[in-house]
Amino acid sequence: MKNNSSFLTKNRGILIFFAVMLLAPFLIGLFEGSTPLMIWGNQGSLSKFIEGLGIEIFILALFALSFDLLFGITGLLSFGHAMFFAVAAYLTGIALKTLAMPFWGVVLLVLLAAIVQALLFSLVLPRVKGITFTLVSLGLASVFHIIVMSSDMINLTGADVGLQGVPVPAFISPVTERLRFYVIALTLLVATYLFYRRFVASPTGRVCVAIRENEDRAKMLGYNTTIFKVVVMIISSLTAATAGMLHALYQPSISPSIADLGFTVTGLLIVLIGGVGTLSGAIVGAFAFRLLDFTLRRFMGESASFITGAIYVIFVLFVPYGIVGTIRMRQLRTKPGWQRLLGMVKPKN
Amino acid sequence: MSNILEVKNIHSFINQFHILQDVDFVVPEGSITALLGRNGAGKTTTLKSILGLASVREGKVIFEGREVQGMPPFEIAALGIGFVPEHRAIFRDLSVEENLKIAERNKGDLDRKRTFIFDLFPDLKKFLNLRGTDLSGGQQQMLAIARALVADNSLLLIDEPSEGLAPVIIEHMIDAIRQLSEQSTVVLVEQNFLVASKLAKYFVIIEEGKSVASGLMKDLEADKAMIHRYLGAA
Amino acid sequence: MKTNLRKNSKAIIILVIIAAFLFVAARGMSGRDVLITVLRGFSTGSVTFLVAAGFSLIFGLLDVLNLAQGTLYMIGAYVGWTVYVRPDTFIDVLTPVLLILAGFSLSALWGRLASRIQLAPKARKIISWLLILAGLGLLALVLTRYPIAIWNLNNYSESPITYSYMADQGLRIIPAEVTFEKISPFLAIAGLLVSSAISAFGIALLNRNESRSQTINWRKFLVPALLLLGGILAAVFNAQITSWMFAMSTNWLFVIAILIAILSGVGLGALMETTLIRPLYSRPIYQLMLTLGLGTIGLQIVQAVWGRPEFVWPKPEFFTGTGGACPATNLADLLENNCSTVFLLGGRVRVYDEIFIPIVGIIVLIVVWILLKRSRIGMIIRAGVQDRQMVEALGINVRRVFTLVFALGVGLATFGGALAAPSTGLTPVMGERLLLSALIALAIGGLTSFPGAALGSLLVGLIQQFMIKYGQIGIPLPFTDVVFKPSPPLVPASTVLLMVIVLLILPGGLLGSKE
Repeated sequence: MKNNSSFLTKNRGILIFFAVMLLAPFLIGLFEGSTPLMIWGNQGSLSKFIEGLGIEIFILALFALSFDLLFGITGLLSFGHAMFFAVAAYLTGIALKTLAMPFWGVVLLVLLAAIVQALLFSLVLPRVKGITFTLVSLGLASVFHIIVMSSDMINLTGADVGLQGVPVPAFISPVTERLRFYVIALTLLVATYLFYRRFVASPTGRVCVAIRENEDRAKMLGYNTTIFKVVVMIISSLTAATAGMLHALYQPSISPSIADLGFTVTGLLIVLIGGVGTLSGAIVGAFAFRLLDFTLRRFMGESASFITGAIYVIFVLFVPYGIVGTIRMRQLRTKPGWQRLLGMVKPKN
Repeated sequence: MSNILEVKNIHSFINQFHILQDVDFVVPEGSITALLGRNGAGKTTTLKSILGLASVREGKVIFEGREVQGMPPFEIAALGIGFVPEHRAIFRDLSVEENLKIAERNKGDLDRKRTFIFDLFPDLKKFLNLRGTDLSGGQQQMLAIARALVADNSLLLIDEPSEGLAPVIIEHMIDAIRQLSEQSTVVLVEQNFLVASKLAKYFVIIEEGKSVASGLMKDLEADKAMIHRYLGAA
Repeated sequence: MKTNLRKNSKAIIILVIIAAFLFVAARGMSGRDVLITVLRGFSTGSVTFLVAAGFSLIFGLLDVLNLAQGTLYMIGAYVGWTVYVRPDTFIDVLTPVLLILAGFSLSALWGRLASRIQLAPKARKIISWLLILAGLGLLALVLTRYPIAIWNLNNYSESPITYSYMADQGLRIIPAEVTFEKISPFLAIAGLLVSSAISAFGIALLNRNESRSQTINWRKFLVPALLLLGGILAAVFNAQITSWMFAMSTNWLFVIAILIAILSGVGLGALMETTLIRPLYSRPIYQLMLTLGLGTIGLQIVQAVWGRPEFVWPKPEFFTGTGGACPATNLADLLENNCSTVFLLGGRVRVYDEIFIPIVGIIVLIVVWILLKRSRIGMIIRAGVQDRQMVEALGINVRRVFTLVFALGVGLATFGGALAAPSTGLTPVMGERLLLSALIALAIGGLTSFPGAALGSLLVGLIQQFMIKYGQIGIPLPFTDVVFKPSPPLVPASTVLLMVIVLLILPGGLLGSKE
């Protein structure tokens, strides 16, 4: 009992978030005059639209979370993170469409592929550090992007048009069963977040933070840092793959833009807005980013991306700790630790 | 005799670390002043603060009657301060000649000073085309001092000139510093009390980031208790 | 020498293996295919080298990994294209750019004025930001009303594709001139000057401490005055200059286009370093994120202005001759007829793509090498790579050198873009591809090593071209009858593979420093 209550108090924020987000579609439904029963039956266009926006945010938040674990917690700055997401998305699409595999088989395949990918990245981990790792990850991801875009693969990936017409199993169809999809995505996000919180607080997680602060010192303490990095890589890759799979199921088409550097930058931007290394910042950042992007696009059309870009630059220059980080710093004054984080990857020694 | 440099109650930081907490001394023109103190007392930081390489948050540094604290290091140096840092900081990818040439502030500085420098360190002439990496410790020290002499510097800040050198070379270095002090004022940081006492006319003792004593070197040499208290056995 | 050999033994072994691979790869080809492929390799390598060299200069001295380099390469190409195909747009844009620069280049004066103003720190901060924002807002207001002749992305007959195509056919379309309608010329010029001066003053007020020792003399006014004069002249004689440029020989137009591309790179580089990169030297990771973000923003801007579809940059007259004794077999014929191709070992070689670009690449290599090894600035760069503080302690303004090197590095990238575009065409993905090649080249050669950048670029170029060639003719796999044709995606994949292998054996790259 005591244990239970401490779980509740420790994770109060995320649990409130969970409850609010569960109720949100019903509450919003009331504004347009739909009864909760109608929402339950997936009627009511406004709440359906809000659910859709919510799903997109949850997917982005999952992706950003996985990025924060890798970069914010462990200090591995990968510029190929979009690849984890995109491989899963494309694999889901191809397996469902071209190979016509059963749904659970697809899930298994995607998760397996995520682990294989993480191990592939891990091959280079013991050798290359800091900036070189960033470059290698960028190189690997760019190759994947080029392969996806190439006309040789047009039958599988749809090249630059994107993969369209993926047959989604009826029970989670974003069209007819959107509320269910919404709840599943939300639950996955909250569960992942809770797991991440536990992970970071665990002894393994603490070693990861130590790696970020000073890898050599962690090594001298007798930790095999490579194994820890591989573990983090696998967890991060699995999370990103989950997000990618949801993306493939939710979106009517899988665009190759999720494989390019721009999407990694989106992940980075979300983490940056929320606060690097805070985990909850990924969720806050995803909300802020998606809502902002949505509003800007509505009012400004194409030129919205300039504003997004300007916000990115402003955050890098003036709000380096992000929303969550800045609030926490006000509360805790943990500046020295933060400054160490900022000087983390010195390009040259 | 006026003071070429006045350091007035400075507090300095390196990153967020408060290293100097009230250092205060003056350097009379045309003399050698030795900064003494234990390891980590803040002697090197004092030199860096004069040059602006460590940030001075409080107090004043007055060089030739001009307040220089807060100015960027290159502007302070350009006023006529030469710096010989702790580990010599010879540019490895540059030849000896280039190492000297880079210190020119006006075209032709090196040519004007060439004879003076080579009179001081005749050995350097032989190595002119070697790269910085190929020099021995003593040769690097000579080069580091020579580099500070290329431009017209009225003040030289020399950090640990005897560190890691063989006794014969230390003797040579002492002669050289004595000779060059006829041209410009020298502030010397020295662990080796014997070397410092041979060279310096004045001393300043720094302890835990504060200047605790200063005066004439010959008075300090007589005061064994003080030496013992601040510098350990000497 | 012996110790040198031993020190670099791994690098030498890798190089020997790569050479052996290339040799084996060339075995199945005819001599002329090998020659053409090698020349193309040199060509790709040269372009890659221009970007990679800028990259390595910047990284070596400033520790900044400029991931926007690919986008800047692309911007070089698009800017150059604009000057070459649409000189009227260029002249129209010239006036506002020069006037804004004039407003900002009075920074010494602003700094002096700003240092006279005594304000509480907080008030100063707020006032300077207000001034900056007001200045920028006014600037935007004037710029949107300023008449600039531009293409129309939504109308095919007025799109960049059509302008390029017609220019390629030798039928230049001379677009209608635009006139001052929404704003009077005097108001436009004054507005540009005043608004940029206001924001420049705001910036000076913000950085008051840094500018306190600046002195004022008449020389400080020379540059702004020249810029102002140039801007006003460009505005007054707009029509005359435009028609003069349209009538100009394309060779000269090409030279102007390349020069403007380089200049715009230098300008952009200086601007980036002083305003965005400089505040972040204490936070290297944020610099990395910033350059990455700037790269994506730049890409979006280019797509918004020039559109997404591919188009060509027509080659200048000097490289397009076909009649007479073309394809040329000797130098005299080539020069006399401006042949587009020559015969070499019985194969046709394109002059611009396979001969001109490599020559330019080699010239740049030599020039930069001399700059690094012989000039004072090169000496400062080499010293600064090792120990910035000591260079500063010698009385050298390292910051100015930083800005210069950053500008130079970016200028090399835009130069590369403008040089490559007539051969490769202009696409929004060109930057990303080249960034990838350049990064791979640097990782292979060693991140901070200038010769490493050259060697890595050459290797990347050769491997890419051999893979492309084999995509056309197929590799007879040893011991089998199977002919393997690598598909286009394998081209970048093969270079990434090479990079991964090299990095696994030598984390510092072939010529990089050992860690």
